[in-house]
Amino acid sequence: MPADFQLNELAADPELINDFIVESREHLAAVELHLLALDQDAANAESLHAIFRGFHTIKGLAGFLGLDAIQEVAHEVETLLDLARNGQISVSSEHVDVILTSKDYLQRWLAELAEMSATGKAPSASANDDLLASIRRMGQKSEEPVAPALAALSQAQDPERAPASDQHSETRSIKVDTQKLDYLVDMVGEMVIAQSLVEHDPDLSLQGKPRLSRNLAQLARITGEVQRTAMAMRMIPIRQLFRKMSRLVRDLSRKTGKQIDLELQGEDTELDRNIVEELADPLMHMVRNAVDHGIETPEERAATGKNPAARLLLKAGHQAGHILLQVTDDGRGLNPEKILRKAAERGLVDEFVQLSESEVFNLIFAPGFSTAEQVTSVSGRGVGMDVVKKQIMKLRGKIEIQSTLGQGASFFLKVPLTLAIIDGLLVGVGGESYVVPIFAVREMFRPTGDALSTVENRDEMVMVRGSLLPVVRLHRRFGIRPRSENLAESVLIVTEAQGKRFCLVVDELIGKQEVVIKSLGESLRSIRGVAGGAILGDGRVGLILDPEGLFGQAAA
Amino acid sequence: MASTVLEAPAAKVDSRAGKYLTFGLGKEEFAIQVLAVREIMGVQEITVVPQTPPYVKGVINLRGKVIPVVDLRLKFGLEEQAYTQRTCIVVVQIEQEGSRLLTGVVVDEVSEVVTLQSADIEDTPDFGRGVSTPYILGMAKSKGKVKILLDINRVMSVQEMSGLAGSVL
Repeated sequence: MPADFQLNELAADPELINDFIVESREHLAAVELHLLALDQDAANAESLHAIFRGFHTIKGLAGFLGLDAIQEVAHEVETLLDLARNGQISVSSEHVDVILTSKDYLQRWLAELAEMSATGKAPSASANDDLLASIRRMGQKSEEPVAPALAALSQAQDPERAPASDQHSETRSIKVDTQKLDYLVDMVGEMVIAQSLVEHDPDLSLQGKPRLSRNLAQLARITGEVQRTAMAMRMIPIRQLFRKMSRLVRDLSRKTGKQIDLELQGEDTELDRNIVEELADPLMHMVRNAVDHGIETPEERAATGKNPAARLLLKAGHQAGHILLQVTDDGRGLNPEKILRKAAERGLVDEFVQLSESEVFNLIFAPGFSTAEQVTSVSGRGVGMDVVKKQIMKLRGKIEIQSTLGQGASFFLKVPLTLAIIDGLLVGVGGESYVVPIFAVREMFRPTGDALSTVENRDEMVMVRGSLLPVVRLHRRFGIRPRSENLAESVLIVTEAQGKRFCLVVDELIGKQEVVIKSLGESLRSIRGVAGGAILGDGRVGLILDPEGLFGQAAA
Repeated sequence: MASTVLEAPAAKVDSRAGKYLTFGLGKEEFAIQVLAVREIMGVQEITVVPQTPPYVKGVINLRGKVIPVVDLRLKFGLEEQAYTQRTCIVVVQIEQEGSRLLTGVVVDEVSEVVTLQSADIEDTPDFGRGVSTPYILGMAKSKGKVKILLDINRVMSVQEMSGLAGSVL
């Protein structure tokens, strides 16, 4: 296929190709969703029609652009689906499998095309002969009797009329370049600052001017609302990610022979696009782990008196400004003894160490840890959970495990709604303002004069609630002149970085503020102790501190 | 840059010809290609960034974007001078490894936009000290004064900025 690959002149237009890729991807995503529904309920005529429409549209578009390989596959699938629609065959798992394979094949093609339009490299997608043959074989195996309900349904629902409702819902959302969206968010941020500058302008006396102050208050309300709306536009529902997981669960279940009922909850929960993307990998690892290690075979389950079909729950929801994700299975649960033994074997812990249950569970996040007796194609190589942990930490999130032996395990992920905003503590040092991320702050206080002790007259520490914490003076680290060197006139912020605590010395606390994180740009990317910049209420830039980098420096 | 000119001395159109923004720095006049200039603004409050070379003055808020600001006086080894009413930040777009970055450049004063013909532009003379001046495109004579043409991409080399970071404290 790659040898005689040739595009017609229409396909030479990158815009047309890109439109094709975007549109086909959407159709394929819908196809996958409906296929999974069809797999659950073979008589689901609505899903059948939706799948048919998806392949039909792709076939048409591909033909228009002269993408023969895509057109051929789409055509064969369409033929197969048509048989199913007319009740000549009834849909079985094998049918769903072959259609899923075709869908994957088309997806690979789209990826190749996308690369071609980006780099000019000719697509090298594999030949489709085998696939075509297997689809045709499926079509000929029409052994089952006609499913009357299906035939009746397909008659009742005119396929030509159905797309109308689809189009209707499409007009209600439009695609916007993320760059434009980011620009809008930037501009709205500036507008809020400008509004606040006007409101607090010393030349503008509001005394005895009720109309002016009323109008200004109205302006403030509107700008606030615009900002909230702009931020909300970055949010997408987690549904897409969950869809991917249902496909994964289906594949795994067929591969391992385990019966799994997947339950999805809270698919409409919205979070930042970036986070959804970053969550895909860890969630995949966790689902794999649950299926491979957690869930038993149907026989084992039956032997212990459980329902042979295991239950896997994926749940998303809001909790206090965060997103809580839950992956729960009713499998065999985590075995603390086994984990501890394995960890001792690998030298991760001392054999006789006393650990709480949750500490034991946390051992599975250690790099290279795996309790699987044998390596399977699914998991067991000991990579996975440490990747999950790392990724979640990167997202400023937390992960927790609850497990009852023999009854199942739950993994709880807590991640922020967005990576773009953090709650910050605004502090002042000399003439500068800095933002300390709230998630790193444990407590703050003003010390008494004798709280400080020194080691070798050089390193300083402070006694806080019975433990000695090292002191990091921000002004020394950053080379600025503080308002006072006297610790009793400063504020100490107990900060935690990588499980270690230290005291950050600043001149004053200014307040708590939500800030939008901005990069300082390529040239200033790698400054230790600085995580980025934020535009403060007065329009100035404040640096966001990176406690880990600050403390790392202290140790160096 | 100089080598290409040596190879093709008879070329009618010098790639260096075009519109330039000229500005003063100490007693010297410099010029950068207008195409690289995004905007010119008065000096505003600059947030100091630690662990950067002295010529990196810090970062500013350019309508919601955080961009670094470089003092060209310090960058060129001239002595530091207090900012005045005439001091300007020229925001330039530089291209580095395929990506475009905005950077503010502090100059003493911005003069004008001039169109330079090939005939006005000469190669940088060899000062005989073996000192290479990779970021100087050439010299231009215009209205009786010599202007130094800068290759702004080379002046603002990213490696240089972060390479020096950390060595300051």
